[in-house]
Amino acid sequence: MKRLKILFAIAVLVLALAPVGAQDVTTVTMWFGEGSTLDCWGPLMLEFNEVDPSVQLEIVPQADTWNVTRTAVAGGGGPDIVRTPGPSFVYEMAQAGLILPMDAFADEMGWGDFFFDWALDLGLVDGQLYSLSDELETLVMYYNVDVFEANGWTPPDTMEELNALAEEVEAAGLTVFSHGNASWRPTNEHFVGEYWTQVAGPHKVYQALSGEIPWTDESLVEAIELLDAHMQAGWYGGGVDLYFTNDGVYRRTSLAEGSAAMNIEGSWAIRGTVDYFGESGQTWDWAPVPSHDGTDYFTIGMGNTSSINANSPHPEAAAQFLTWYFSPATQGKMLTNCLKGPAPVAIGEDVLGALDPRIARIYAALSDASANDRYGYTTWTFWPPKSDVYIYEEIERVWTGEITAMEYSEGLQELFAEELAAGDIPPIPTR
Amino acid sequence: MAVLTQKKPMTIAEKFNDESWRRKFLNNVLIPWIFIAPLLIIHLYVVAVPAVQGIYMSLTDWKGVGMNVNFVGLENYRELFFEDETFGKALSNNILWMAFFLTVPFILALFCATMLSQVRRGGMIYRSILFVPYVLASVVTATIWKNLLNPQRGVGAAVDNILGLEGVFGVAYLGRTETALMSIAFIDNWQFWGFLMILFLAAMQSIPPVLYDAAKIDGANRWQEFRHVTLPGIRPILVFMFMMVAIFSFLAFDYIFLLTQGGPGGASEVIATQLYKNAFFRFQAGYGAAQGVVISIFAGFIILIFVTVKRRGWDI
Amino acid sequence: MTAIGNVSIRDTILQRGRSRERSRLLVFNHVVLLALTAFAVIPLVVVAFNSVKTNLEIGQNPLGPPVNVVVENFPNAWDKGNFATTMSNSIIYVVATIAAELVFGGLAAYALARKKPPGSDLLMLYFLVASTIPLWMYIVPLFVQINFLKVKIGVDARILLIMVYVATRAPLSIFLLRSYMIDLPTELEDAARVDGANELQVMTRIVFPLTKPGFLTVGLVVGLGVWNEFLLALTFIHDPNQYPVTTSFYKFVDRFDRDWALTSAGAIIIIFPVMVLFLSLQRQFIEGLAEGGVKL
Repeated sequence: MKRLKILFAIAVLVLALAPVGAQDVTTVTMWFGEGSTLDCWGPLMLEFNEVDPSVQLEIVPQADTWNVTRTAVAGGGGPDIVRTPGPSFVYEMAQAGLILPMDAFADEMGWGDFFFDWALDLGLVDGQLYSLSDELETLVMYYNVDVFEANGWTPPDTMEELNALAEEVEAAGLTVFSHGNASWRPTNEHFVGEYWTQVAGPHKVYQALSGEIPWTDESLVEAIELLDAHMQAGWYGGGVDLYFTNDGVYRRTSLAEGSAAMNIEGSWAIRGTVDYFGESGQTWDWAPVPSHDGTDYFTIGMGNTSSINANSPHPEAAAQFLTWYFSPATQGKMLTNCLKGPAPVAIGEDVLGALDPRIARIYAALSDASANDRYGYTTWTFWPPKSDVYIYEEIERVWTGEITAMEYSEGLQELFAEELAAGDIPPIPTR
Repeated sequence: MAVLTQKKPMTIAEKFNDESWRRKFLNNVLIPWIFIAPLLIIHLYVVAVPAVQGIYMSLTDWKGVGMNVNFVGLENYRELFFEDETFGKALSNNILWMAFFLTVPFILALFCATMLSQVRRGGMIYRSILFVPYVLASVVTATIWKNLLNPQRGVGAAVDNILGLEGVFGVAYLGRTETALMSIAFIDNWQFWGFLMILFLAAMQSIPPVLYDAAKIDGANRWQEFRHVTLPGIRPILVFMFMMVAIFSFLAFDYIFLLTQGGPGGASEVIATQLYKNAFFRFQAGYGAAQGVVISIFAGFIILIFVTVKRRGWDI
Repeated sequence: MTAIGNVSIRDTILQRGRSRERSRLLVFNHVVLLALTAFAVIPLVVVAFNSVKTNLEIGQNPLGPPVNVVVENFPNAWDKGNFATTMSNSIIYVVATIAAELVFGGLAAYALARKKPPGSDLLMLYFLVASTIPLWMYIVPLFVQINFLKVKIGVDARILLIMVYVATRAPLSIFLLRSYMIDLPTELEDAARVDGANELQVMTRIVFPLTKPGFLTVGLVVGLGVWNEFLLALTFIHDPNQYPVTTSFYKFVDRFDRDWALTSAGAIIIIFPVMVLFLSLQRQFIEGLAEGGVKL
């Protein structure tokens, strides 16, 4: 007991020696997920501190960032810069008055000059700007060039071609797609969103999102049925049960080492793909995800949003940081150095030109698709929260044979109609 | 209690004038409560006050962000019991979980503790090693076992390899709807049962050896010895742990969330994982709070059963 | 002498009988125990193997012993996990929580075991019911409560976290300590009172020393719980310099990937101190359970 008392006294002493911050510097805090992303982004973001010594950024690395952020912000605390995983989360926070409208800052600091108009619109809640979208994403089909060349295969453009190729891939003893959701369960929604857009076409999805047609529309249900058929055929990581245990490491290694032929994944996977292929010494490339008619559709997604905490004692300083961070110069630099998915801002041609041409081609194709009405929708960006959770949770019940594609769509329709009626839906740019 | 058993009830004024009463009050009521106060106050502040707010929130449409809520009465509970199809599945998973944890670890721990109590040489080494998994963090244990149960690079695949088989043992235990929940229970149990074993062993060692000798002389066989000497000897801890494990079965969360998040297709969903998803992913925190209250009510039933049994004369 | 002689003869016969029986049984016992020990330890051996492999080798040889031993994983994991900081923080959390829990829990348990003031049963029921409430139901209101003390009163976040730990572990400590004290013989206390000791002296000089094994057990269980905890720590600590050791485990993971070599080395680093501590204290710990076990 005596020893414990001494230890306790030491503990109290140590606790009492809390660091004391300087007074005349405004510190803008930001919470950021622990891991290798921060290792690369962190130092680049901290370059902001050289711009104006009186405004300093402090990055707090966090495990389980979003859950912690949400609890803290909801409970009246949290960082100055509130990052959320997507617009639907912004909506709830804005409604609750937890984050600030930023229209005044947008005008004053000229955000409209470098943000794409549609991108700023994504941050509107009841007509006011509450968030800035970050990390422009799309999904593509990565493939192992060595494997394709050795077998004389070419990337499929249509679902029919995919069908034919898949047979050959399986005959060669390989796995068609290196898919799996063990590291990130919502991975499921990537495929649901992709099949809707590629099979039924983005216009159908747009109609459903605007409530003109239900999710039980024939073409949309067909897309789910096709996804299920591909899953049941074992294309996704070798079988339904294996899909549920294949993790991120499996996804990268099996593709990079050529035991799987292809991988439909987001542009966020570029960095991992480059790393793993670097280790295996094989070559990667990508092609658009096959569609029903061979059109190159690209779904658009946002990996993150940034807002200003309503509790922040210095919103101007936070806005100052956002202005710097979202500027094309900073975004270009982070794209070049970290292969970070750029914010939807006008990044100079020279930046893209300096990239690996395969990577530059992804962003070029995405902007081409959005200019030519060939863009589609990712579920985490454009669906309301309950529907979004439903999309990735309940699809597993289709795959495990508990419910049919139609039942799945009916359940979604019910939930989506509720959320649409309540107005809980993120802004959908008009086509 | 002494105050209440006084033969002649005194008026309050009399009591305050009676010095022996004052001393008794001080010694038997005031000072004990002063001793209890620090922990109780901290606990009220940290658990009771927020929990009461949570219970109130279960009667509202609270979204989990902001404090602008509408009172909806028992609507959340109605929806939970009469509309939510997934709730029944989650509840039955909780009951399966409880059935597993009230049998497997108890049998394993009793068996092993009995074995160990008879061993002299190496006993210390065995019990040290058997207890080691209990010191691991759940996040570490989950990570280790996720890998060991992996169909391609796990133990099953290695066994298949040795036996020249393919896909017999190396299957996706966590990815199959039939095996997911029990695989998680297996992993949780791997970490937990050693603790139970040590508790039982400690209790067994404090049973007077004379009792075993007496049983021997009466010609008891090993089962009878276990049944009539060991079990009664460790009954208090056995019953107590039975109650605690039953209560915790309704709170099961961390391993399930770390390993499958309730998947595949809701196969390993329990009430607490639903509560978490409702509160944090679906913005239905009021609804989630109702699920939390339901968890407490179920666990409360368990307590009620044990309290009743205790009242009936069992010394727990 | 005769009686003693008789007893010793009976003992000898019994012992001979038992030892013959025992040696026969012990083979079975040791086989079973060895199997269970292997079950407990093999997963950890695999982690230990993987902690000295490269990621590439883990991919090719996920279970077996390493072909090339890569010791660098440990310094790399130590640096990347920022263990120097997180480990000393965790030690503070563990020690402070144990100290507070034992002091406050000991006081309360003493009152409940020895004085049983009116309302004791209700209080026990309250603690029992409180332990059935899932944290996720009240985490946001709890954050509001804690944030109030932090922002409005200026209490250090670490003290608040310790307070939350003490509270959430209170029911268990009270149950265990109380049951332990209830079954202590009261003769010594009565004797001390006769000698003129006051309540405080009786408690601190007589009851607490006798409860030492109980304190040790509660301290170990509470300490383990705090060392391994991360959800509450993540929720209430927002300064990397104050993070506990479990957060280091997250440094080796990204949104979709995990560095297995560093993860394994990190796991060993996290496990090692508690294992050493447990193994060095285990004799007392188990003795403590043996003495107090029946009364739990």
